[in-house]
Amino acid sequence: MHITEGFLPPAHAVAWGVASAPFVVHGVRSLTREVREHPESTLLLGASGAFTFVLSALKLPSVTGSCSHPTGTGLGAILFRPPIMAVLGTITLLFQALLLAHGGLTTLGANAFSMAIVGPWAGYAIYRLLRRYDVPLMIAVFFGAFVADLSTYCVTSVQLALAFPDPSSGFMGALGKFGSIFAITQIPLAVSEGLLTVLVMRLLVQSSKGELTRLGVLLGRQGSRDETEAVAR
Amino acid sequence: MLPIDAAAHSSRWRRRHPVDKAVLGLGLTVLAISLPPWPGAALVLVTALTVLLGPAGVPGRRLWRAYRVPLGFCVTGAATLLVQVGGPQGFVSLADDGPLRAGELLLRTSAASLGVLLFAFTTPMSDLLPRLVKAGVPAPVVDVALVTYRMSFLLLDSMRRVRDAQAARLGHTTRAATWRSLAGLGATAFVRSFDRATRLHAGLAGRGYDGTLRVLVPEAKVSVRFTAASCALLATLAALTLVMERALP
Repeated sequence: MHITEGFLPPAHAVAWGVASAPFVVHGVRSLTREVREHPESTLLLGASGAFTFVLSALKLPSVTGSCSHPTGTGLGAILFRPPIMAVLGTITLLFQALLLAHGGLTTLGANAFSMAIVGPWAGYAIYRLLRRYDVPLMIAVFFGAFVADLSTYCVTSVQLALAFPDPSSGFMGALGKFGSIFAITQIPLAVSEGLLTVLVMRLLVQSSKGELTRLGVLLGRQGSRDETEAVAR
Repeated sequence: MLPIDAAAHSSRWRRRHPVDKAVLGLGLTVLAISLPPWPGAALVLVTALTVLLGPAGVPGRRLWRAYRVPLGFCVTGAATLLVQVGGPQGFVSLADDGPLRAGELLLRTSAASLGVLLFAFTTPMSDLLPRLVKAGVPAPVVDVALVTYRMSFLLLDSMRRVRDAQAARLGHTTRAATWRSLAGLGATAFVRSFDRATRLHAGLAGRGYDGTLRVLVPEAKVSVRFTAASCALLATLAALTLVMERALP
């Protein structure tokens, strides 16, 4: 769920924009360096951006009976790494604001902070941690996507609670309000996104080993299944 | 093509420079969030709606379809302001100034959304993106955004066809089948996007691709009259708000 246009007071909108800026600038530098060294990467990165955009448009069945959309940040971070996801995520959020009326331009900084920065970094950190301790790839992918999704919504709750503190109990009360509303829908959704990401990754391991090797998710050498699934980066 | 972008391509203001429309549309958004919600955001809301349905010629039905998305979030978010947690009246109780705060938030958000929609409904992304280089965005980022934009439509179209094919094979009849179909859809999106990128690169390489995507941008000049009129309208709205704020109770 994106914070919609005009929802945050001006000072908060600016502050979240400032907080996001260093991460996005870092991602832009990584992306620019990559494109200058390998011009053909422009097309692959564009394709990755389109994949992220389309992934966020998939309708996910929810436990509560309704449906929602995956954030796609966990899978994106595992495939393309968090610095690149900061840029691709921000581009996706810009497109969603202008093409789908999801999110907004004044709230772009806040949405980028939760969806393009904290979500990918948190998901990627868990994924790398689990892989370091030789946890099987698919379990690491599940927790990476689960944590990326859940952390995105936790940050959104914090952003909303800071902007609209409860008149009686202040920030903590508001965090409880927004958090509990999100928790009802988002914990099942985070589980759903984790499961979907595992299913997608299983199919990708079967059908797109070449691309996954090029992205550094799989090792390129022939060998046992465990060796193939070892994380290279 | 997505409905908002399709509407932008056939908009009356399609040939106007994006700066003209940004001054008016995004100016209204900035006013909506910076002026007091009553009467400032209300004035902005009425003005944006009038411009959208009048001079900009956006069909009301299309506008409503796009507008109801942010409205849904506004209503859900504003509803949380109606209650308070803790205090002498119990663990959860109605907040004293809840309806006022929720009303102000609804006004501000709905007015700000209309400002952005005014810009989005009149400015195709293909006119906006190439011009971002002049605004200081690094060219490689703009190139990646351009490829993302153009490839998104192809992928969305592919996904729609795959979903139809899955439905025709009873791929959405049970919960397990739905999950399998969804996973197949996600994996297909990945495979197709990379396949298209590889084929696009091969085609461009044959035409001397050097890493820079050159696209034709429709020529347009910034209209001083339009921009000045927009600034005058924004200044009038700000002044009117300050005057009305003192006059109204």
